Amino acid sequence: MFIKSILTGVVVSLGLTTAGYAADYPTKTITIVVPSKAGGSTDRTARLFTELAEKNYEGFEFIIKNVPGSGGQKGFESISRAKADGYTIGLNFTPQLVAHVVSGRAKYTLDSFHVMGNVAQDPAIVAVPKDSKIMNMADLAAAAKASPLTVAVNGIGSDDFLAAKSFEALAGVEFNLLPTKGSTEQKAGVLGGHVDAAFMNLSQMIKQHNAGDARIIALLTDARDSHLPEMSTAKEQGYDVQMRATRGFIAPAGIDAAIQAQLDEMLSTIMASDEFQANAAKGNIFLLPQTGADYLSYLTGLQGETQAVFDKAPW
Amino acid sequence: MEYLQIVFSFEALLTIAIGTIAGVAIGGMPGLTATMAVGLLVPFTYTMDPTMGLMLLGGIYCGAMYGGSIPAILLNTPGTPAAVATAIEGYPMSKQGRRALALKVSVTASFVGGMFSVFVLLMFAPFLAQQALKFGPAETFLLALMGLAGIISIADENSSLIKALIAGLIGMIIAVIGTDDMSGSLRYTMGMIELIDGIDFMPALIGLFSMIQMLELSGMRSHKIDTSMLEKSSKKEPMPKGISKHIALGSATGTVIGILPGEGATIAAFISYNFSKRISKTKELFGKGNPEGIAAAEAGNNGCVGGSLVPTLTLGIPGNSVAAALMGAFIIHGMIPGPELFNEYADRTYPFIISMFVANGVFLIVGLSFAPFLARIALIPPAIMVPVVSAFAILGSYALNNAVFDVYMMIAFAVGGLLLKKLGFSLEALILGLILGPIAEGGFTQGMIIGHGSPWIFVESSIAKGMWVIIFVLLIPPLLSYLKLIRGNAKQS
Amino acid sequence: MAKKNVDRAVLALLIVMAVLLYFSTANYTGIALKTSAKYVQFLAVSIGVLSVVQLASSLLREQSNVKLILTENMVRFGGLLLGLIIFASVFETLGFFIPAAVFIPVIAVLLGFRSYVAIGLTTAGVLTFVYLVFVQLLSVNLPGLEF
Repeated sequence: MFIKSILTGVVVSLGLTTAGYAADYPTKTITIVVPSKAGGSTDRTARLFTELAEKNYEGFEFIIKNVPGSGGQKGFESISRAKADGYTIGLNFTPQLVAHVVSGRAKYTLDSFHVMGNVAQDPAIVAVPKDSKIMNMADLAAAAKASPLTVAVNGIGSDDFLAAKSFEALAGVEFNLLPTKGSTEQKAGVLGGHVDAAFMNLSQMIKQHNAGDARIIALLTDARDSHLPEMSTAKEQGYDVQMRATRGFIAPAGIDAAIQAQLDEMLSTIMASDEFQANAAKGNIFLLPQTGADYLSYLTGLQGETQAVFDKAPW
Repeated sequence: MEYLQIVFSFEALLTIAIGTIAGVAIGGMPGLTATMAVGLLVPFTYTMDPTMGLMLLGGIYCGAMYGGSIPAILLNTPGTPAAVATAIEGYPMSKQGRRALALKVSVTASFVGGMFSVFVLLMFAPFLAQQALKFGPAETFLLALMGLAGIISIADENSSLIKALIAGLIGMIIAVIGTDDMSGSLRYTMGMIELIDGIDFMPALIGLFSMIQMLELSGMRSHKIDTSMLEKSSKKEPMPKGISKHIALGSATGTVIGILPGEGATIAAFISYNFSKRISKTKELFGKGNPEGIAAAEAGNNGCVGGSLVPTLTLGIPGNSVAAALMGAFIIHGMIPGPELFNEYADRTYPFIISMFVANGVFLIVGLSFAPFLARIALIPPAIMVPVVSAFAILGSYALNNAVFDVYMMIAFAVGGLLLKKLGFSLEALILGLILGPIAEGGFTQGMIIGHGSPWIFVESSIAKGMWVIIFVLLIPPLLSYLKLIRGNAKQS
Repeated sequence: MAKKNVDRAVLALLIVMAVLLYFSTANYTGIALKTSAKYVQFLAVSIGVLSVVQLASSLLREQSNVKLILTENMVRFGGLLLGLIIFASVFETLGFFIPAAVFIPVIAVLLGFRSYVAIGLTTAGVLTFVYLVFVQLLSVNLPGLEF
């Protein structure tokens, strides 16, 4: 804290500050709840934000509280239950945020939160081992019809699982689904040829794909992605399966409007800065800045889609 | 050559030394783990020069793995689960006043194991990583079985093999609580959100070892310490003959197991310990303070350090949770694991690897020169040590997941564990079951799915066949001697 | 209480638990029936059988009437345990530092340590160390009162 106050002092004296709206806010450290382990991608997203926020905003100090486990549920619950005084905000990631609501496990709903905005995204992909005969989604569907394929997804109710379930419904096949503990096991399964395919995220496999150790056969997004522009989408290949992970900021509902507006504006200003974008690119984080309103409508839509999948095949 | 220059600059050497010494302290404290320290310091290195930042974290990793053995030997409070096997031999030695020797063996074995594994990492990483990929869920299941075979070797010197097995099963059953990965449904959580992820093994480790030790100390009739022990320990005892064989065995075993997926260090320490007991000429001394056991276990768990980085750096598949946190540090500096690390970023990766040789050297020097002072820790009056260690036990249990629930869990494990211990159940077996249970279950259930419901998958590959042979070699001799023992007892009565 | 009786009670409890555990697997759904359920059934059968064997051999052979002694000094043992539970229960509201500043001296005196200077120095040392390592260096978010 001492070091931080000295730094703040230096920043003030250099005149690099922005005036706040709510006169007496903040008077103490703001806690950011990160619903995953320190060092993971959600954690890194939060720390990218706090680094610049502390540097550019006078009087703002943040501390990150990691509440890992249970697919983020513990963390989401603690954000929803936090005192709405503007001193606790947090991160969320999808589709887990809404999946917990749909599966009936969550004690919160989307109304428990004020959605501040989205920061990052990670498109879902389908990957196969490098020597697999499966080249595209049509091959995948054909192979799955011929014999049950072992397909790795990162746990039940995850984005991978939802994508695999939608593909099953669309192609009229049934996979031998292998739920793993974390994407590391999926990656090991694909690289070692222990599974026939895996539904994963782009950032987890892009290096292996470029190095030729594994093959991505489709992106599960609406349009192609600038990080892997030559890769066609499943939609282009005739299977309209769409899934992506997103990571944004949320706050408990009911924070004083002036304070909330200040925090929201801070988030969007930082996301727009060159420094933030450069740091994110370096840290393998794919940005997708969205305002709170846009992100809320995305979340509401996602909850509806997830509900539809859940009703067909509950987990 | 230029890489050596980077490592042997003053700034780098200082960074490595700070990281390593901090690591020793972290590993030695109940509740502070290398995973937590590396995870929390990753953002801190963000503002540092990438190479220096990685060296700092590498030093912490190396130091913490060794540091766990110090309190295990002196106070029977292993700082990391990988040091539980060390405590089995180290604490009896400490009680006999041979703690200086135990510490010396531990630091030497840790050093050799660490150096060997980093050497393997430096020379053969890409090749070995490709081999490790052949290791699928079915083989992971067998590896967990191999680790669980250690329960039998913990037991066969004590009276009851059956009680040790029951204790191991209690651990495995406790580990079943939480989410069923196969269906996503909750098992035995009793509606508590804290149990969704199951019971963390760290509060259990702190409760079963550190806290029980403190409860026992507090309840002892006399608090006087036999100072004659100190005089005895100050006498220099030479390294036992033939110990190098056990160090070599542990180093090789640890490195191989470190490369494989799963929480390697604990398995490696127990399997090395078990191997060393099989080849030892003084089997009967195991469990009563045999330095050979310390040598194998410590060489084994430190061997995991370099080993676990092999798949982490080459494939982006971290071998354990510390390696996973370390991978976050690479990524934050834009170094995504893969072949690029060894060409495009070679000027950072190779100095990082070389720095771990230095880190091993640092803790060797620190460990050897401070061993006489460290040994005095055991002489601190229990009346002041008990409250301090208890406070750290509470803080450590909390800080793992920022959850007070874990503190209650720790206390519950201490009370329940003390009862089981008094009844002759082995707590080492219990913690082994608790840690390896989820690995065994994951390997078994995933193997069954990949094998489309057929258990043949567990014997199909040549690796699997080889592993079964090792499991039988580990199991049959102790079982035979146990049967002999029972028959002998029956005749007597 | 005689040790053998406690031992038998624990084993009996384990047998009951094993039976319950075995039958609980019937509630598993989908693929878990063929995978996780098998694993849990294996655990239940193993612990059940081993506990029965151990219980039987205890009933047949165990003659000694040794008492089970959890601790030789109930006041100190119970005091430490109580201290731990109180510490844990106030952790969320008071944080680490205030309870620790009370806990360490109280337990030290309870265990018979009488050098008050050493107690004070140790307590101060522990608190400073925790502040520097956890709060300053690692930025662990400890709960408690604002300063």
